[in-house]
Amino acid sequence: MSAQKKKAFQIEAFKHRVVVDPKYAEKTWKILEHAIHEIYNHNASGLSFEELYRNAYNMVLHKFGEKLYSGLVTTMTSHLKEISNSIEAAQGGLFLDELNRKWAEHNKALQMIRDILMYMDRTFIPNTHKTPVHELGLNLWRDVVIHFHAIQSRLQAILLENVRRERSGEVIDRGLMRSITKMLMDLGPSVYQDDFEKHFLEVSADFYRLESQEFIESCDCGEYLKKAEGRLNEEIERVSHYLDTRSEVKITNVVETEMIESHMHRLVQMENSGLINMIVDEKFEDLGRMYCLFRQVSNGLVLIRDVMTSFIRDTGKQLLTDPERLKDPVDFVQHLLDLKDKYDKIITSAFRNDKTFQNALNSSFEYFINLNSRSPEFISLFVDDKLRKGLRGVTEEDVELVLDKVMMLFRYLQEKDVFEKYYKQHLAKRLLSGKSVSDDAERSLIVKLKTECGYQFTSKLEGMFTDMKTSQDTMQGFHASHGSDIGDGPMLSVQVLTTGSWPTQPITTSNLPAEILGICEKFRNYYLGTHTGRRLSWQTNMGTADLKATFGKGQKHELNVSTYQMCVLMLFNDADRLSYKEIEQVTEIPTSDLKRCLQSLACVKGKNVLRKEPMSKDIADTDTFLFNDKYTSKFFKVKIGTVAAQRESEPENQETRQRVEEDRKPQIEAAIVRIMKARRVLDHNNIVAEVTKQLQSRFLPNPVVIKKRIESLIEREFLERDKGDRKLYRYLA
Amino acid sequence: MPPRASKRKSAPPNSSSVTSSDGRSEGIEALCSDLGVDYTDVRILMLAWKLKAEKQGYFTQDEWQTGLKALGVDSLSKLKKALSDLEKEVEKPSNYEDFYTYAFRYCLTEEKQKSVDIESICELLNLVLGVQFRPQIDSLIEYLKVQNDYKVINSDQWINFLRFCKEISFPDLENYDATQAWPLILDNYVEWMREKHS
Repeated sequence: MSAQKKKAFQIEAFKHRVVVDPKYAEKTWKILEHAIHEIYNHNASGLSFEELYRNAYNMVLHKFGEKLYSGLVTTMTSHLKEISNSIEAAQGGLFLDELNRKWAEHNKALQMIRDILMYMDRTFIPNTHKTPVHELGLNLWRDVVIHFHAIQSRLQAILLENVRRERSGEVIDRGLMRSITKMLMDLGPSVYQDDFEKHFLEVSADFYRLESQEFIESCDCGEYLKKAEGRLNEEIERVSHYLDTRSEVKITNVVETEMIESHMHRLVQMENSGLINMIVDEKFEDLGRMYCLFRQVSNGLVLIRDVMTSFIRDTGKQLLTDPERLKDPVDFVQHLLDLKDKYDKIITSAFRNDKTFQNALNSSFEYFINLNSRSPEFISLFVDDKLRKGLRGVTEEDVELVLDKVMMLFRYLQEKDVFEKYYKQHLAKRLLSGKSVSDDAERSLIVKLKTECGYQFTSKLEGMFTDMKTSQDTMQGFHASHGSDIGDGPMLSVQVLTTGSWPTQPITTSNLPAEILGICEKFRNYYLGTHTGRRLSWQTNMGTADLKATFGKGQKHELNVSTYQMCVLMLFNDADRLSYKEIEQVTEIPTSDLKRCLQSLACVKGKNVLRKEPMSKDIADTDTFLFNDKYTSKFFKVKIGTVAAQRESEPENQETRQRVEEDRKPQIEAAIVRIMKARRVLDHNNIVAEVTKQLQSRFLPNPVVIKKRIESLIEREFLERDKGDRKLYRYLA
Repeated sequence: MPPRASKRKSAPPNSSSVTSSDGRSEGIEALCSDLGVDYTDVRILMLAWKLKAEKQGYFTQDEWQTGLKALGVDSLSKLKKALSDLEKEVEKPSNYEDFYTYAFRYCLTEEKQKSVDIESICELLNLVLGVQFRPQIDSLIEYLKVQNDYKVINSDQWINFLRFCKEISFPDLENYDATQAWPLILDNYVEWMREKHS
């Protein structure tokens, strides 16, 4: 017991230097080195992880990290050298196997080593910027094993050989291939690329170059494409099984270049099996395949499109200039529609509705339809035929389909104003003869034209319909007020046409038969009574009449004739024979019309209610006409009237052309004035361009005509040339 | 085309031989012979231009007096000299176009007349441009006589004839561009020329 003062504890440093056993590092390293040996010799089970870890830890702690690290490098390197040798020693097919096995083992070993050396990995290595253990292990593998000369070249050769074998149909070990390529990828993307991929692509290019040459000599286009497609799919599958995904686009590129791009032109032009043949024979599957394959190479689709386009243009051009075809306008237009349908189908089913192909098709049609100046007339005749009889009994939807197709052709026309002229003529005939199949169909087409071209285009056409309706109302009113007067007399039905709306007719005044003059006057008075300030003139070249005729043996027939024909026939109530001159004198029908009229009455089998002397085919001024007593027909009602709209004769066509040209002049002038009013000053080329733009929805103006109109406007002092710059024109307000 | 009849009442001194009560053509012919100049000579036309004569074939009293005063002429000999000076004056670029346009207007004899017949145009071209642009004018006149698109020429076409001679290289016509604002008659002329030479 002590009550003495407690002495403070003093801690002093060791007085002597504490030194780690110099042999400590060496000893510890040896332990670890031994462990690595054991690991590589598959004796890891006997090792204590904890102990080894501690040893490594201590080494690093006591500043022997450097020794540890370099020791690791040396040891691992020497082991890998051994491994290299053993791999190299493997024969033939076993090479790859051995390589793969050793690789797997190395990875396992590396993992264990890394775990043991984890402390170093996390402290010493980052501090000294050395390569981490795992990475180090991969690098060493790469440098010592893979890039060992003997192994490197052999590896490459075997891999490529396997691919070649597989391409020629042999079965190879894909799993093994996968492991090897995965190994290469793990070693770094440049390893995979430089050691394998680069050569793979080169060799593949050679392979396909050769193969494509063989195929193209021995196969037709369709077969070749099938093969090419097959190879392409094969490569894609190969990549998915044992190559890096990034190789896919590269190898497919190779196949496409060698098999498709190099032989593009030859394939397309191949005789009897190339693109044109496929189109003509409608081989949709082959075409679709071609489209898909060619899409992948630059200018592949351009090639297809160009060849197709020039073929369409040639076909169209042929159709447009074949005189046989042009004899029947309705048939001709039908052919055009069929042609369009065919190509539409090809583009939808084989070419994936590719817009550039659609555009090429459209421009081709536009090109050749306008090669023939008669196209507008023919399209109108086609419509006329449809609206007269073609669409009889057809459902509303189908009617719309046909009309839409017509509109499609209409859009291609450059001379829309010519179409308008003919359409008007034909429509007038249809309306007046009551021959239209469906009023709804007529109106539907007008609406479509209006949507396409604007109100102005159709306003006159609509005027025609209005006149028809109004005339109906007028007739009702007339009959209501005069019905009782008529009694036994002829029945009159009048259509009153507003001059501006209907196609212009040359003015003819023929003499109407006395029998109907009465009722005609009554109508005239009635109408003018309710519409003051108007002038009516009978259009004798446009009407029809139903005549009751009794022939020699008492046979009665009802003859449906034109007004002219009525004028002629009525004469025979008072005379049995009349000369041409007499008829001409009394009726005052214009010569060409009269001749046509007499021809239809005397020279057509089954309709010859008149006889002609002499019996020649043509009408001469010296002919005589007799009432044909002996006329028979099995029908009670006989139609002798004028036929439906015909394609114009050459001279008629010229005349219409001329009228169209005349109509265009004021339109061009109006456009010029409009433009100059807005711009005030403009140079010649720009005026031409603007005018063309403004009028293009109706027709394509001729630059020479535009110049002439400008000069005319200068003369009339609407414009003047600029005093300074001769190229400019000025608007004179 | 040069003035034929003259209605002037008073004459410059020493030209009394020219006066005549009804102003007949002998007067002008006499004037011309006094001047030593043929009355179809272009210088008479130039005189008309200088005098700003409104109507072809007439000098009004006003025009005559004012014009001669402007020329500083009060005798026949001075008039003679003035004529040769006049030629130089007209040829000045600033006056030439004015004279050229005047020549056309001078031929419009009727009220509201806007064009001149081809025959007269050919003569006028020869007179006015013949000296300076002999080959072009000869060729153009040949064309005007054979073509039948146009029976008369208007002032717009007339003025462009001069521009054509001045600007277009002849006879190759290389720099002529039909898509430019040349009158159609010249487009046709150039086409005719090119066909002739091909």
